[in-house]
Amino acid sequence: MNNKITDISSQEKNSGTIAIKVDGLNKWFDKFHVLKDISMSVLEKKIIVICGPSGSGKSTLIRCLNHLELFQEGSVSIFGQELLNDKKSATLIRENVGMLFQNFNLFPHLTILKNCTLGPIWLKKIPESKAVEQAMVLLDRVGVSKLVSKYPGQISGGQQQRVAIARALAMEPRIMLFDEPTSALDPEMIKKVLDVMIDLAESGMTMICVTHEMQFAHQVADQIIFMSDGEIVETGPPEQVLKNPKWDRTSHFLQHILSHTS
Amino acid sequence: MGKLTNPKAELLEFVPRPSRPPVVVTYGFTGWLKKHLFGGFWNTLQTIAVFSLLYLLLKPFIEWSVIDAVWVASTRRECLEISPDGACWAGVITWFNNLIYGRYPDELQWRINLGFGLGLVWLMPLVLKKLKNKIGIAIMAVVLYPFLANYLFIGGEPNGLHYIIACVALAYLMMIYINIILIYTGCQLLEQYLEPLLERISPKKAALLSHVACWFVLSLLIVSIFQGVQLQHVPIDMWGGLFLTVVISSFAIVMALPIGVFLALGRRSNMPVIKWFSIAIIELVRSVPMITVLFMSVTMMPLFFPNTMDLNKLSQVIIAVCIFAGAYMAETVRGGLQAISPGQFDAAKSVGLGYWQTMFLIILPQALKLMIPNIVTSFISMFKDTTLVSIIGLFDIMLMARNISIDKDWYGLHSEPLVAISFIFFIVCYGMSQYSQSLEKKLKTSR
Repeated sequence: MNNKITDISSQEKNSGTIAIKVDGLNKWFDKFHVLKDISMSVLEKKIIVICGPSGSGKSTLIRCLNHLELFQEGSVSIFGQELLNDKKSATLIRENVGMLFQNFNLFPHLTILKNCTLGPIWLKKIPESKAVEQAMVLLDRVGVSKLVSKYPGQISGGQQQRVAIARALAMEPRIMLFDEPTSALDPEMIKKVLDVMIDLAESGMTMICVTHEMQFAHQVADQIIFMSDGEIVETGPPEQVLKNPKWDRTSHFLQHILSHTS
Repeated sequence: MGKLTNPKAELLEFVPRPSRPPVVVTYGFTGWLKKHLFGGFWNTLQTIAVFSLLYLLLKPFIEWSVIDAVWVASTRRECLEISPDGACWAGVITWFNNLIYGRYPDELQWRINLGFGLGLVWLMPLVLKKLKNKIGIAIMAVVLYPFLANYLFIGGEPNGLHYIIACVALAYLMMIYINIILIYTGCQLLEQYLEPLLERISPKKAALLSHVACWFVLSLLIVSIFQGVQLQHVPIDMWGGLFLTVVISSFAIVMALPIGVFLALGRRSNMPVIKWFSIAIIELVRSVPMITVLFMSVTMMPLFFPNTMDLNKLSQVIIAVCIFAGAYMAETVRGGLQAISPGQFDAAKSVGLGYWQTMFLIILPQALKLMIPNIVTSFISMFKDTTLVSIIGLFDIMLMARNISIDKDWYGLHSEPLVAISFIFFIVCYGMSQYSQSLEKKLKTSR
């Protein structure tokens, strides 16, 4: 097997715990090879931004990290816990990993508050009053504490995404995965969601974000991973990847994205 | 982002205009009439045409059913002498009691009323806002109430398991109501008075223990109180009329949803045995006419049960109807499940919920809400379909209506009983449909 180890934290190997380790990950959808020999490791409290053209396997990669997608070859471990193909392993992994989606995916039949207390009450067995207390703190932190009794269908997309962040944080994850969290929002709302994400990054959360927000990447990312056609094309600190990419493919994509956003 | 804001510092602040109330478009009843019925020449013409058609169609029916109808008579012959062209409602009125209760003895019919009354009383607390644990009350209603109602309907000696379960059910119902009174007068719950005592024995499970203890004491009390009350035995052959229809269809309606949900989940399952089993049941039952299923239930079902189990015709029919209803419901529920976006499954999983939690907390509440119109449509058709049991000789409302025409006093009275039971069915079914619509409005959570 051709293992291009793309260790994105080689200089800092001894300076922190490895949060995520992916080794020789291969995945096929039927006969379509979506992920080709992906290897990477992420240190705790680091912010990784994954970008690349659509269909390059970014979303699939992060969905593999919390067992939403199964893979056929290779290994993923989260805080040393190997991801196996069974339910028990999935629950263990998900305790540590929260996830945000492009379409927010709040539970539309529950109020904002209940969206955030459901997990703690049913999974952590926290008494309701305490779960509500904790959820209120989180909802306040993301700036939507006035909307607690509304339903997701009654609030804006940006507010929904911030509620989704609070819902994920309520489970006290050590890693957060973001799957294009701002792609379905208009610019005014993007700003507020990104502010929350920046706040989260500064508080020391380990984050992996699939996003096209290059300014955000530049501001907070420790590493940028550029993917194309199921492979990691380029990886490095934002300065390097954004300013002088090694590969033609990367600079071509970046030109497109930057000309579109500015 | 940040760069996009306007560099000019001193801009006027934008204040949104206050909202106006919507423009009124109709002006009272005459305005509505003018707008919708008589707006323009063609509209007027159409209105007149439709109304005259309605008049032509309804006039004979109203003449027959109201104007020329006979309400008081002792035989059909008498009816015909009074008004040969009118409806003879006297026959329906004489038989009305039998239409509702079948051949159940007249002097014992209060037991049926009491049985259904207790059912309503059991369900009423579900609309109270202050009460907690409503799901528990509803589940207990499904599990325990049938025993209580059945004991009232069928009667028998005040001993044996059936009597005790009925008393336990009654005790539970009493406990609900004692607690409701206590809550609304601002007191503690009944079991909370006992809790401090039991906390010494087992501090963790004191709440549950005291709940069970109260229930147990009340049950004992009720068992001993009603020990002296003898309910005359009424064999199931005597049950009939609307009463029997409601018994069968309420079993079908209550059981259809759980059976349907599990069959639907089974059909979507990844486990091959469960999946094929569910598909087999659904497809088999759906491809066979209900009458066939009913006949088979009476003739073939005893073959599948041990000889010692003596199933009566009614329970065989109820089992058959429940499976039939469940198989249809399964496809309705599956439709609802498919309408839920995969994102909801992803979100539930990423929060960490397992399969059953995802299904019962996230997916099914949404799916069932979407499916309310379809579910109620199935309920309505199940209620109407139960009239087919008359074919295998159960004296439900349909067979009672047919029997009026072979009664010697009312020989040949065919149409009136059918019109009368249509009317009864309409009231029940229309009620269900209205309830479903109010439920939809109540559960609507988006704009």
